Amino acid sequence: MLAYTLTRLVYLALVLAVMSVLIFLVTQAMPGDVASMIAGQFASKEVVDAIAVKLGLDQPLIVQYGQWAAGILRGDLGRSLVLEQPIAPILMEALARSLVLAVVALAVVAVVGIGLGVLAAVRRGKLTDQLVSGVSYLGIAVPDFFWAIVLVLIFGSYMKLLPTGGYAPLSDGFLPWASHLVLPVVTLVLMLLARIARLTRSSMIDVLQTNYVKFARAKGMPESVVILRHALKNALLPTITVLAIDFGLILGGVVVIETIFSYPGMGRLLLFAIQRHDLPLIQATILVVSAAYCLANLTADLLYAYVNPKIRHGMKAA
Amino acid sequence: MMTAPQARPAVPPVTAAASAPEPAPLLDVRGLTISYGNARGTLRAASDVGFAIRPGEVMGLVGESGSGKSTIAMAILDLLGGGGRVESGEILFDGTDLRRLSAPERRALRGDRIAAVFQDPFTSLNPALTVGRQIAEPLIQHKGFSPRQAAARVQDLLSEVGIRDPRRVAAAYPHELSGGMQQRALIATALGCEPKLLILDEPTTALDVTVEARIIDLLAKLCDSHRLSALFVSHNLGIVNRICQTVTVLYGGLVVETGPTGRVLSRPAHPYSKGLVAALPRITAGRRHRLPSIPGTVAKLSGPPAACVFAPRCPFAEEACRSRPQAMLTDAAGDGVRCWKADALAGIPWPDEDAGIARDPKKAQPRSAPLVEVDHLRKIYGANRSILPWLRRAGTVAVEDVSFTVGRGEVVGVVGESGSGKSTIGRALLALTEPSAGTVLFDGADLTRRVRQGDQDLRRRAQLVFQNSAASLNPRKTVGDAMDRPLVLAGRADAEERRKTVAGLLTRVGLPSAYADRYPHELSGGERQRVNIARALATDPDFVVCDEAVSALDVSVQANILNLLAELRDEMGLSYLFITHDIAVVSHIADRVLVVYGGTICEEGPTGRVLRPPYHPYTEALLSAVPRLAEDGQETPRILLEDAAPTPGGQGCAFAARCPRKLGAVCDEQAPPVHRTDDGHRIACHIPLATLAERAAVFPELAGDAPH
Repeated sequence: MLAYTLTRLVYLALVLAVMSVLIFLVTQAMPGDVASMIAGQFASKEVVDAIAVKLGLDQPLIVQYGQWAAGILRGDLGRSLVLEQPIAPILMEALARSLVLAVVALAVVAVVGIGLGVLAAVRRGKLTDQLVSGVSYLGIAVPDFFWAIVLVLIFGSYMKLLPTGGYAPLSDGFLPWASHLVLPVVTLVLMLLARIARLTRSSMIDVLQTNYVKFARAKGMPESVVILRHALKNALLPTITVLAIDFGLILGGVVVIETIFSYPGMGRLLLFAIQRHDLPLIQATILVVSAAYCLANLTADLLYAYVNPKIRHGMKAA
Repeated sequence: MMTAPQARPAVPPVTAAASAPEPAPLLDVRGLTISYGNARGTLRAASDVGFAIRPGEVMGLVGESGSGKSTIAMAILDLLGGGGRVESGEILFDGTDLRRLSAPERRALRGDRIAAVFQDPFTSLNPALTVGRQIAEPLIQHKGFSPRQAAARVQDLLSEVGIRDPRRVAAAYPHELSGGMQQRALIATALGCEPKLLILDEPTTALDVTVEARIIDLLAKLCDSHRLSALFVSHNLGIVNRICQTVTVLYGGLVVETGPTGRVLSRPAHPYSKGLVAALPRITAGRRHRLPSIPGTVAKLSGPPAACVFAPRCPFAEEACRSRPQAMLTDAAGDGVRCWKADALAGIPWPDEDAGIARDPKKAQPRSAPLVEVDHLRKIYGANRSILPWLRRAGTVAVEDVSFTVGRGEVVGVVGESGSGKSTIGRALLALTEPSAGTVLFDGADLTRRVRQGDQDLRRRAQLVFQNSAASLNPRKTVGDAMDRPLVLAGRADAEERRKTVAGLLTRVGLPSAYADRYPHELSGGERQRVNIARALATDPDFVVCDEAVSALDVSVQANILNLLAELRDEMGLSYLFITHDIAVVSHIADRVLVVYGGTICEEGPTGRVLRPPYHPYTEALLSAVPRLAEDGQETPRILLEDAAPTPGGQGCAFAARCPRKLGAVCDEQAPPVHRTDDGHRIACHIPLATLAERAAVFPELAGDAPH
């Protein structure tokens, strides 16, 4: 297990190193010149050049990359050109808010989605199954911004039960914090639920037909034990993978939902950086998003091992 | 380790059983009718089935796939599922009709009074739970044990089923155990609550023969010592002969014969039973002998039968058989047979297979160079040379230094158990896997290199037939399309001509040419395997690797396919590499046999020589594990091997860990020397040839017809 984790961490470092090069090159290729943007439209060439020298933009690309990468390794993500502040605290704040959104939304999706999936599998072909399929498909078939607008209209503008947007830190009290989360979380859940429920349903149906489930029944185990102890744990493997990908997705910023609910997470930060052509901020944000994705996947693989002892065994041998 | 021969509990003489006061049966099934319903209609899986099992009695329920035997077992357990429904009848267990009980009441009986062991141990244990926990479950559920009490009982149960380190096994996950150990764990689970009735559904079918022998031995002992009754569902008459006192033969969902095992197997009354007994492959030295087979496939009923269900396949059928259904005729001793001609047919055996095309086998030129030459073949899987030190792995040796030849028109059998490397050898001979070392010459050319250089002609000349007839055919392609593909690849451009070739090939393997338009799911297992053979022949090959090509088929169909393969060899001068775990099947078709164990050849020679002493200790164990019928002669002592994994790639003999005749440290430390004789017989063993030759023959009846 340790060797396996170690191997994965080495791969993770490699992936991020490659990503950093790509991010750096792509952002360099973006149209527009940073120095002239900072200097403004009416600045003379001398001023622009002076800014470029100050920012090190006159150096060869490889040197610029080296300085940037070395900074990251020291924990220095650079300074935002537009906000004229160090990037790290801004980024961490946005990441923390996205993390809150991701954890709450995924917790709901996991519990409700897996529950509905199991229910549909056990009642396969019956009304419950069709109902679960129908409702969850409605969630995925209608675009997320539509749900977001409908929810804002009903609960925010019309019923005035919940704030229509923004974010309240936990220091303002639990209720304001939670009430700002409800609508974005519900929208995300509607968006992600169908996949988890359908996936759990189909792998649960497969597992319910295995010999070990038949044997558990032949031992006289009650149906609840057969389903929860014998079937579910084995049926969860594909679900875990998709949950991890979804986690990375929310952490990396769900731009549309964050925009509609004015939720200040990674998505909005990235959008802001791109609109203002803030190169260092773009680079740092994308790099952190990549790292979040990789870590989410690593977590999924380690969870796999927890659920499936055969994989755990393979890791020991590794 | 060698155990004394197990004396099978003698079948009580029929007269004694009839005169003694009949004990009330523990399980009494009466008039059981089961249907499966789906959108296309209903299918009768069992019609008016009745049988009784007395306390302490093991009853065999036999028949080929589709006969309804597993359905009946599942109905007793109330685990039919999948649209199965008991239409009528009674299932009396200890005097209570199980059908009148509620679902929770039946669940409470399951695993407590009635326990079950199923076919495939590899999939019957939950991969995510420890073995000990799974054995403990029924104890906690039915007997109210605390987890601690249950854990102690689990250790006792595991010791009882012959597991030597119960503590380790209880803490292990299923994938850490061998198949034999897993099946023992399942038996321990079944025994936990001290049930009265065991339902054993093909409990050894998925196991290697040497392991099967041990499990059957264990089951027989347990049934005897616990006075357990058992319903033993099996397609293997040899196994039934070892463990069952009585037997019920099913055909098309109907009981066609019941009686004491000894009588039914030695003097079968129903034509179907006669056919089953005749089709069982027996060890034989005369390979040109054709196995009797039962033509056709099991009838599927949707309602009560209008004629004898077996009539379409029965060689004794006449007009009267096709006009009215057959009634069960019961004699004074209680034996039953569903055939009005049974008395008239008494003593008349199932007809021998028509020698058919009495054509002379194509003369192979014995002096010409062999078709396939394998020289020091070695294959290692999973070797990894990573830059990360903790990822470096030496890999697992699948085949270790194997050399042999296949002559033109010769059939070479490769016998071995799972993990012996036999399939890897087959794949290497078709260049489907690249050898780690050594060479494979096909008709003098280096196969691996030529194929890598894109030589399609060599591929065309060597073909493959797999075990799983269904999985080898694309379900979305018709039989014709599947067979067309290799012809296109072989450069046959004319579509009309290809269509004719396909029709001709289908006729060649005994199928109507109209089958070209059918889809695989519309065919039976035997028919599908014929299609696979026809497809392999499409490119006019010289050499066919048959990897367990008949292992998944019923004995009746298996005989059929073996005969077809033998015919094709004689007519077309084909060479086969015939890979199987069943040494009896090999004796019917192979000219020469390789016995492989742990990736090495432990014995090789002409079939007649391998079947007679001197034996390699492993060959001897394999032969002694072959199930036999009473009429085949006295059972010789069985050699029961430990269930240990082979240790290929080590210094010593691969078989050393399980060898009943192990000499000592020399077996573990040094590779065994090869004893050779002039007639091409070789044995790799540390025991001197003279000592090996002193052993008694496992099949004394073969001694007379020595080929030399």
